[in-house]
Amino acid sequence: MSSSAILTIANLSKHFGGIHALNGIDLQIHEGEILGLIGPNGAGKTALINTITGFYRADSGQVDFMGHNLVGRSLHDIGRLGIGRTFQNIRLFKRMTVLENVMVANKTYAAHPWSAFWGFGQRRKAVDEAMHWLHTMHLSHQADVSAQSLSYGEARRLEIARALAGYPALLLLDEPAAGMNEGETEALIQDIHTARSQVKAMLLIEHDMGLIRSLSDRVVAMDYGRKIAEGSASLVLAHPEVKKAYLGEDE
Amino acid sequence: MLAGQIVNGLVSGAMYALVAIGFTLIIGVLDKLNFNHPEVFMFGGYVGLVALPHMPVAGAFALAFVVGGLLGVLTEWMAFRRFVGSDARTTAALSSLALGLILTDLVHKVWGTEPLRLPPLTGWLSESFGLLGVNFLNLQMVLLAITFALMWALHHVIAHTRMGRQIRAVSESSAHASLLGVHVLRVNQAVFFISSGLASIAGLMLALRADTVSPDLGLTFGLKALAVMAIGGMGDMRGAVLAGLGIGVLEALMFHFGWGRLGELTVWAAMIATLLLKPAGLFASGHHGQEQRV
Amino acid sequence: MISDHLFFTCINILLAWSVYVSLLTGSLSFAQGAFMAVGCYASGYFTAKMGLPMLHATGLAALIAALIAALVGYPALRLRGIYLILATLGLTFCIRVLLENIDFLGGIGGFGGMKGGDLPKAAVAVVLIGVALWVLSISPLQRVFDAVREDDRVAAALGINVTAIRLIGFSAGAAIAAVAGMLYGHYMSFVRPENFDVTLSIYVVLYLVLGGVNNLYGAILGAAIMTLLPEYIRFLADWRPTVFGAAILVLLLFRPDGLLSFRPRTALSKHGRTLSAPGV
Repeated sequence: MSSSAILTIANLSKHFGGIHALNGIDLQIHEGEILGLIGPNGAGKTALINTITGFYRADSGQVDFMGHNLVGRSLHDIGRLGIGRTFQNIRLFKRMTVLENVMVANKTYAAHPWSAFWGFGQRRKAVDEAMHWLHTMHLSHQADVSAQSLSYGEARRLEIARALAGYPALLLLDEPAAGMNEGETEALIQDIHTARSQVKAMLLIEHDMGLIRSLSDRVVAMDYGRKIAEGSASLVLAHPEVKKAYLGEDE
Repeated sequence: MLAGQIVNGLVSGAMYALVAIGFTLIIGVLDKLNFNHPEVFMFGGYVGLVALPHMPVAGAFALAFVVGGLLGVLTEWMAFRRFVGSDARTTAALSSLALGLILTDLVHKVWGTEPLRLPPLTGWLSESFGLLGVNFLNLQMVLLAITFALMWALHHVIAHTRMGRQIRAVSESSAHASLLGVHVLRVNQAVFFISSGLASIAGLMLALRADTVSPDLGLTFGLKALAVMAIGGMGDMRGAVLAGLGIGVLEALMFHFGWGRLGELTVWAAMIATLLLKPAGLFASGHHGQEQRV
Repeated sequence: MISDHLFFTCINILLAWSVYVSLLTGSLSFAQGAFMAVGCYASGYFTAKMGLPMLHATGLAALIAALIAALVGYPALRLRGIYLILATLGLTFCIRVLLENIDFLGGIGGFGGMKGGDLPKAAVAVVLIGVALWVLSISPLQRVFDAVREDDRVAAALGINVTAIRLIGFSAGAAIAAVAGMLYGHYMSFVRPENFDVTLSIYVVLYLVLGGVNNLYGAILGAAIMTLLPEYIRFLADWRPTVFGAAILVLLLFRPDGLLSFRPRTALSKHGRTLSAPGV
């Protein structure tokens, strides 16, 4: 496993009024690894993803992604640079079909207005590519179904397929297993392994500790917008600070 | 005479403020734009047309308030009741727009599209007085006094009464308020009643000052109050008052220096500039505008 | 005269389409009256005062309208919802006041001298623009528009340049409104700024809301109903605003997407697709 860092976060802070969502956090994600991110609700995990990807504007600190500075960049710049993500509360394009959701994420096909207007010639290729991603996430039989009528598990898989369709170097997954039962979670582990081979590195936010243990190469624990522990899954989960942080809420 | 113009500007400003307060109250509580508001303002003048031959001015004001308020409650029922939530904002705005079309058309049908003269004011109201070499109309003073009294009353209701507390609770979060036992529908109705009642009074004031009622004048003025509201800050009552007075005086000054024809342009250009540069409004203390920028 | 009615129907279809194109990217614009005015005055100036042929004048006028839209839109399109509605309303007022004060364009008194607008030209415009919109609706760009309209932040995170897309929609809408303005001006031969006021902008939006906001046919239906029916049903003509307002009210309660509420299928849909992987 190469140890070069894909993403380096230094002293990143973001506050809303009096609340510090991120409070000077440092973090690195290395090439080839899946980094698990855990912490109680409100620790700032989603805020971290939001700040990395540009949904929030950082107040201070640095985010370096493969040599590019991300702070202050627009959402679509960051997307184009090669970061893909899913959303905690699932944000699919409900009024489109499953296939269309993935096709719209195809950067060469959909990103430039002029070629998108005349792009009929590229259509076959783009459809095939999108079907490939759907097949990877076991959704190809649902291709023409409206995204609105998907089950919870299917919707989450579609979000991953859509994120992968942009060929990201870094994939950020925000609680992909939330609301899933045991069978679905097992299948998800397989899907994430598949996804792993498509990207250079992954960040996985999860509350399901079993998932974290089986997928993460390393784990970082957060609370109150800061990193409180870092290391292997077993190390972090046994860490006193981490236990204390979780004792404050129902698991 | 500059001082006279400025007083006139203040009176206009006071009227802008009254209408803008109504707009902004509904934005603050329901987070929606009531496009029927300018039409209710216009209608206030017509209430005066009907009432003034039969009752003293004070009675006409009271009647305008009640009629306007009722129109407001009707608007809430027809154009806003079904459309709850922030996704329905545009739909609610369009609905109220449609309602406004109907109201304007009805006015055209009953009273025609041309301006009509109000019965002339008699007695003390039609007189003027001199102070420091400037001629002031009693009417202007009365209008200003009424406006400030109404604003004070509104402030008192919002800040010190039970209904006011409920209004504030709903404007923070209607979900939370309802969980705390606040009857959100009653609050919405009250807000519409107050806001439209004020607009109607302002419309009567405009008609009294101009001595005529007309649909066009009412609508133009009413829509300008929309701009005033945006400049002062959406959802911010203090901002509405300050912006209203400010714009009123500004227009008067422009008129005085011979730039009258561009006066209208100023208001709308100022609104556009505010929306682009400081969407929360020039005088606002809140952060209503922040979610609106991508 | 039926050709008159049809002519105005064409104009209204174009105007409703101009709202539609802008709405495709999520911007509900009340500024179409302003862009129509720009198109009318600019093209009128080019033909009547500079002697350009109508086609060239139209092209230039549409370009000017699109440029103004892009300039104004660049900062303004970041506003959403009711803020954008207000800003576009403001734009309509501003353009009207400006035109009333620019003397070499006739000021309040009006501007005239252009001629040559007629039903065949209007019909050609409707057909050409309609075809362009149809091509758009089956192209991938339509789905990009949909993504931007439905959730612009997620669309941006997927690499789509949302600002550019919005500008395209808004400017294209302005250009179409300008074409309508050109036809109108050259038909009436004489126009005044008050012909392009807020009421027009509002009506045009409501035509689209009535007919259907999700596809290009809604504009045709809404404009046709509201332009043609009053010509043949006296009651509608006399009570046009009331009937229209009532229709919109009822419609918004039960069918907020308009009468024709279906969404167009694009070429991305299942037609002609092959599966790339066996089995699944």
